[in-house]
Amino acid sequence: MTDNNGIVLKMENITKIFPGVIALEDVSIELYKGEVLGILGENGAGKSTLIKILAGNYIKDSGSIYVDGQKFEIKSPSEAMASGIRVIYQELNTLNNLSVAENIFIGEQLVKGPFKIVDWKAMTKKAGEILGSLNVALDPNSVIGDLSISEKQIVEIAKAISKDAKILVMDEPTAALSEEETQSLFKIIATLKSRGVSIIYISHRLKEIFQITDRVVVLRDGKKVESIKTKDTNANELVTLMVGRDIKEMYPKREVPIGNTVMEVKNLTADGFKDISFKLKKGEILGIFGLLGSGRTSLVKALFGANKVKSGEILINGKKVDIKSPKMARDEKIGLVPLDRKVEGLALHLGVKENITLANIEDLGKGFLIKKQLENKKAQMWIEEMGIKTPTMDQEVNSLSGGNQQKVVLAKWLESGSKIIILNEPTRGIDVGAKIEIYKLMQNLCEKGSAVIMISSELPEILSIADRILVMSKGKMTAEYSRKEASEENLLQSACI
Amino acid sequence: MPEIKASSVEPGKKAKISNTGILFIVLVVLFALFSYVGRPFFFSTLNLVPMLNNLSFIGIIAAVLTMVMVSGDIDFSIGGNIGLTACLVALLLSKGLPGWLVVIIALCGGAIMGAFNGFLATVIGVNSIIATIGTMFIWRGIGYTLSNGESMLAMNPVIDYIGRGFLFKVIPFPIVIFIVVFVITYVIMNLSKWGRRIYAIGTNPMASYLSGINVKKVKFVGFLLCGITASLGGLILTSLSAVGMPQHGQGLELVIISGIVLGGTALGGGKGQILGTLAGILILSVLYNFLTIMNVYYFYIQIVQGSVLVLVVATYEIRQSRALKRV
Repeated sequence: MTDNNGIVLKMENITKIFPGVIALEDVSIELYKGEVLGILGENGAGKSTLIKILAGNYIKDSGSIYVDGQKFEIKSPSEAMASGIRVIYQELNTLNNLSVAENIFIGEQLVKGPFKIVDWKAMTKKAGEILGSLNVALDPNSVIGDLSISEKQIVEIAKAISKDAKILVMDEPTAALSEEETQSLFKIIATLKSRGVSIIYISHRLKEIFQITDRVVVLRDGKKVESIKTKDTNANELVTLMVGRDIKEMYPKREVPIGNTVMEVKNLTADGFKDISFKLKKGEILGIFGLLGSGRTSLVKALFGANKVKSGEILINGKKVDIKSPKMARDEKIGLVPLDRKVEGLALHLGVKENITLANIEDLGKGFLIKKQLENKKAQMWIEEMGIKTPTMDQEVNSLSGGNQQKVVLAKWLESGSKIIILNEPTRGIDVGAKIEIYKLMQNLCEKGSAVIMISSELPEILSIADRILVMSKGKMTAEYSRKEASEENLLQSACI
Repeated sequence: MPEIKASSVEPGKKAKISNTGILFIVLVVLFALFSYVGRPFFFSTLNLVPMLNNLSFIGIIAAVLTMVMVSGDIDFSIGGNIGLTACLVALLLSKGLPGWLVVIIALCGGAIMGAFNGFLATVIGVNSIIATIGTMFIWRGIGYTLSNGESMLAMNPVIDYIGRGFLFKVIPFPIVIFIVVFVITYVIMNLSKWGRRIYAIGTNPMASYLSGINVKKVKFVGFLLCGITASLGGLILTSLSAVGMPQHGQGLELVIISGIVLGGTALGGGKGQILGTLAGILILSVLYNFLTIMNVYYFYIQIVQGSVLVLVVATYEIRQSRALKRV
């Protein structure tokens, strides 16, 4: 794109600070009319913070934003929308009980007559026109809940353009899409582009970046490291820019001798997955890869007793176990570092100390009472051992950075003596430095004789850290790869079966 | 700039400590003020002993209900429980049962009522607000049925002692019960493993469950204890008035919950202190007592009580949002 097309959006010297983390530091980006701008960066690089500021969900600490050359303070999502900025999040915001047409016109239903009665006919017709203009055949009357994730996404896009979006932000739009669905999304993006809509496209899939974007901005640790035309760069250069260090340093991998089988799962079936079998060995990091909706989270919840198992069996150290609750899983020395640590992992308004001992309150004293000194000693030990950065052990865990919160969750399970640690997306939303620490901690555990199951949708991570990778798709296990066999291509392929 | 550093290190902590502290300061100031303005009657055993007796049955229920509320639930059926217990006690006494047996049966009745609430809220999963509003009507309705809607005399040496007896001939027995219940609940909430579980569940039930805590069990026991304590309160009230009638305890749930909330317990769970509850109900009682002996019209007393509650809770919210802004 050339300058004479004009700058639609300019974000200048944007800074946003959270307790313990500088999420964005002095980041400036420009977006031209009809351009697809890729924003690239590791988890925790600041991509989502930048988007949330643009969408009005976060308020920047400093810097300025210009839309069409006009300085513009975005204070709320509705203000962002009013100025033509639309964000399509990874977790879609569709209303599942309503129809496609209703979703497209939500909040601004078409009305007729003096009493402003909803004009269903006009809405259906107009929705059909919008969908048609995107070259998609989708019935405006179908109920959203029955649609696939990619179709829901299309509805979100239709909703955005029905309100004359000038700037469309897409946050990891292909995370849950198959190859075919991805290609049809790209066709829609091309259509929008030809109409002069500017698109910010966030992804960490390099292949897509090269296929769809005109220009790329790379963020790392909250700073902008490069802005470059896509045709002037290559994958290697982008990876180096993104990671900012040697890939070996980013994903430290130590060889740990693999021991006996500690956990065996045979034909396990529950809600969300079917007929899963695998073995987990001492000292091993077993990766599970799958797209959104592949059943990976249901699987680990079932292993942990939080999802009801319908059939199949689990053996721990060769002994059949019947895990009916997280309490029983804990007693079998299984620990779960869950997907959403704030909702499932931590009591946010309690202190670091209380969270570390949360899964092992029973051992805080002999009788009914808590022995405070014992608890302090335990907490102190884990804070040092895990390198948790906190002013005091009584600090509310809420105010810690994501990486330190994750260490607290991990410490909780180590304190309860877990030997099998299941981590669901352990490095989601934490900065690069903390990620490396988490990887190192995982390997320390393996060296000490534990076994680790790691679910990850981040390809470079799972490829570098896991000893063995299972791939899930639509609730079934579709492949198993050793570290040597696995590659980005075959993992994605097996995940889209 | 050491001050800035201190507040940035521990956001929220400062406000949390002083909320209960401030309440006790307010209490002492009010007490001193009332003693002076209301002299000589306010600060006399003739006034204070009945006040404390009345406070005792409200206080023990408030203490145990605080545990339920910190775990994220609530029990509206306590007033109905009192009414039912009062009628049950009077009815059993009229049948000639011995006093000690009546006490045991009454407390077992409370346990059954509490267990039923707990069953609804944990096993079935009914929201505890709805469940206990429902049982509130049921308990009181049973009370009316047992008593035929009439008040019955309830006199018996054992029952009399509960509300009107004196330990070592000086300490009114309800106050003994009051102190014992507060010490026990304080130890549970602040020093025990079980109390830790209650706070954890109130702060995040999902994370607690996924950390191996038996959430339903802890919540169930809370309701059970609340039922037992409410019927103990019913026994005290019956003894104090020497009458069992189904109207006993009517509207008391709101007074008790006001006191608890005044003491800093959050309705959503996770936040609350036994000492805060103690201060909260003391303030409400002292205020009510003072206004009554000053012959303030009952209508106005209600306005004052309501205003105090709204004012204090608004203050908490303001302090809270200020503490958040510092982050």
